[in-house]
Amino acid sequence: MFLGIDTGGTYTDAVILDNKYRIVSSAKAFTTKHDLSIGINNAITSALPHPPPQINLVSLSSTLATNAIVEGKGSPVCLILIGYDRRTLAETEFHKLVSDKHIVFISGGHTVSGEEQAPLDVTAAQQAILKYAPQVSAFAISSYFSVRNPAHELTVKKMVRQLTNLPVTCGHELTTELDAPLRAITVVINARLISLMQQLIYKVREAMQKHGIRAPIMIVKGDGSLIDAAVALERPVETILSGPAASVIGALHLCKVKNGFVVDIGGTTTDVAMVENNTPTLNHQGAVVGGWQTMVEALNVHTTGLGGDSEVQVTPQGKLTVGPHRVVPLCNLATIYSYVTEELRRQLELNPGIDDGYFVMREREISGIEDNLTQKQLEIYARITREPVAILKLLEGADTPFYNKYSLGKLIEQGLVSISAFTPTDAVQVLGQYQVGVPAASQIGAQLLSRRLKIDTKTFCKRVFKQVVIQAGKIVLDSVIAEESPQQNSRHNHTGAQLFINRALGAEDKNRMDVRVALQYPLIGVGAPAVTYMKPLARRLNTGLLVPRHAEVANAVGSVVAGVIQHVRILVRKPAGIDNPYRVYAPTGPRDFIELEKAVAFARKTARRLVKLNALTAGAQRVRVYTKRKDEVMAVQDSYEHLGTEIVATAVGNPRGDTLQ
Amino acid sequence: MSKLSEALANLEENTVSAIIKEQVAKHADPLTVMADLRKGMDIVGERYKAGEYFLSELIVSGEIFKEAINVLEPLLKKGAGGQATKVVLGTVKGDIHNIGKDIVGTLLKGAGFEVYDLGIDVPSKAFIDKLIETKAPILAMSGLLTPSFDSMKEVVEMVKEAGLRSKVKIIIGGGIVTELVQRHTGADAFTDDALEGVEMVKKLVKQLA
Repeated sequence: MFLGIDTGGTYTDAVILDNKYRIVSSAKAFTTKHDLSIGINNAITSALPHPPPQINLVSLSSTLATNAIVEGKGSPVCLILIGYDRRTLAETEFHKLVSDKHIVFISGGHTVSGEEQAPLDVTAAQQAILKYAPQVSAFAISSYFSVRNPAHELTVKKMVRQLTNLPVTCGHELTTELDAPLRAITVVINARLISLMQQLIYKVREAMQKHGIRAPIMIVKGDGSLIDAAVALERPVETILSGPAASVIGALHLCKVKNGFVVDIGGTTTDVAMVENNTPTLNHQGAVVGGWQTMVEALNVHTTGLGGDSEVQVTPQGKLTVGPHRVVPLCNLATIYSYVTEELRRQLELNPGIDDGYFVMREREISGIEDNLTQKQLEIYARITREPVAILKLLEGADTPFYNKYSLGKLIEQGLVSISAFTPTDAVQVLGQYQVGVPAASQIGAQLLSRRLKIDTKTFCKRVFKQVVIQAGKIVLDSVIAEESPQQNSRHNHTGAQLFINRALGAEDKNRMDVRVALQYPLIGVGAPAVTYMKPLARRLNTGLLVPRHAEVANAVGSVVAGVIQHVRILVRKPAGIDNPYRVYAPTGPRDFIELEKAVAFARKTARRLVKLNALTAGAQRVRVYTKRKDEVMAVQDSYEHLGTEIVATAVGNPRGDTLQ
Repeated sequence: MSKLSEALANLEENTVSAIIKEQVAKHADPLTVMADLRKGMDIVGERYKAGEYFLSELIVSGEIFKEAINVLEPLLKKGAGGQATKVVLGTVKGDIHNIGKDIVGTLLKGAGFEVYDLGIDVPSKAFIDKLIETKAPILAMSGLLTPSFDSMKEVVEMVKEAGLRSKVKIIIGGGIVTELVQRHTGADAFTDDALEGVEMVKKLVKQLA
């Protein structure tokens, strides 16, 4: 049997599937952010039937990488840039990922046709490696035009291996696309995530051990395929959007539908992916996560910070907003700390204020150099404990309330403390649609916020609910608009477009014109509170709604039913100039041939060999390899000119633990 | 049609020069003068297409136009307030044809662009260095020979590698440039007509905004 696990921002799901991929049992537990293994362990405990069956494979999808990037987390790394022009990095925000002193420019790199642009400065590389190794947890290497010739990256990588025990990643290992600054960003993000991924895999093993499970671990990549844990350790960045990808693959398995929009409204985010002809669409431009454009090929998932646990805010201007920050719902906090409800009641007796209904608690301990806190931040952090304290009380009597609040914001940003506040989960509780935790806490929370808008609590909660539906609708429309007109999306501040979208979603009054949209594909609802919001959403968008059985654990199902897929692309081309031979740009380095067909044959052989090796390393068995050849020719006067040939080899296999089929 | 347009269309060099000087002395709006000149170039283009004019006439008209622009340029810069959009222009490596490129350069200047003309047989890296240095949002490459397509593609790939592809719009031009060539090279637009090229550059600038 298989065990699928998904650690989301709010819930950790576990599901047991039999060898025909039928669901045997499933369970949900809260994600324990400070130590993921607790949540994973809880989910496994509830999901495992008695007596526990033999588990042959454990598959995991995780928002770990995505969340770490969004929250700016990661360990310090040293970035070695070979043959880069400093000026091309001037407008990037590298300083947010790696400190200036850990970026090393050395000479070297290649040209567009794979020739050496300048000799590699081996001495400088060695000095940098020895100097920074004690200060960082990993090395990232990127060389100019390394996708045309990886020689310099490989040399420096070898040096890092010889001189240190630290993990090292190269740009050409993560992508075959051109764009040196973007490759550098991708390779840095990857290196920063390695130690976090190590911790996660260690925690999963720990939880498995407790249950006597001995099986290989596979992890879901952002493109919806699986890789072995060891590969994920080298290339953790490929697991960004792992959770959403798993939920799409799971949804496709659970409900056989050809076309549709998979909408996953979870606790922390809402993810939308379009499926056409049974296949989710891929984003070839590379996934964008936390404002960073990466070169990681992932499913085309549109994500927004909106879910059951999103912060509901009434701004000082009297505007109601939901998200993008995730907080702990008041009703959940009150189950653990009974005085939360009392404190909320006390605040009801005071004059209304913008800090009403907010609590803060310690999330993790400060880790020395990395957090780099100011005196003020340290002072405030010291006053926050694991037990929640009302922000109103924390700021009470402070000489510098704004400064304090600003510093508190920094602590939240760095994930040192977390917030509890009124959420959509509390709103649906007040509306009687959902029962969890302490209803009184939700009720009073709603009173505190609604009195600032001078409306009653029911009306307020209905507005919150409607706001969630509208914002989810915007993301669905975004995914359609992006597909049909790539340059546009609903966030573009085109007043006319905004008006149409808002009217269509019922976000503003009809006035003189009503707008109705009708999606041609149905919505497929997955995730925890799927049905609650999905029904009105489908109505607004005038389309059908499918909520498959087990929709609430679709992502954990997806992590099991995904296959291993690897691609290798190799380019054959004549470098510019007239009499050059055909050059094969292989990941092993360029090689020249006089005849085109010999070059193509070599490219094909190399691609097949490498892709099979990659698939086996990624944990596949019974690997099948396909190659596709794409020739680019152009008619010039009376003859045909060969412009280039691309060989794409694809390897498909089953996960190794899957021995029963 | 204005006298100026007519004079330019008829390649009356001295008349054009006299009118321009007169206009400058009168502090006329340089943009209006420019519009008349362009109208004149339009007619030359039409006559060329109709077979009335040959390439030599086209070159002569380009020269007269260039001359006129040189007189008008200081005024134009004042009018534009130094906000002119920059264009990096050149004939690619392996190709030494300059006529088409020069006409486009002149027309672009006339339309108020700040043109960095790198000349002919330009090494691919020189385009990239200039783009980085000037932060120009437009790259215009010219070529008349088949091998120049490979050079163009090379430059486009180098623009990508430099991380500039989303910031720079690329137009290619030359007698045998087609949509196929545009797709092959990965450029954003193509033209075999200098005047059309200027209009396209304007559109590309709008796309970036």
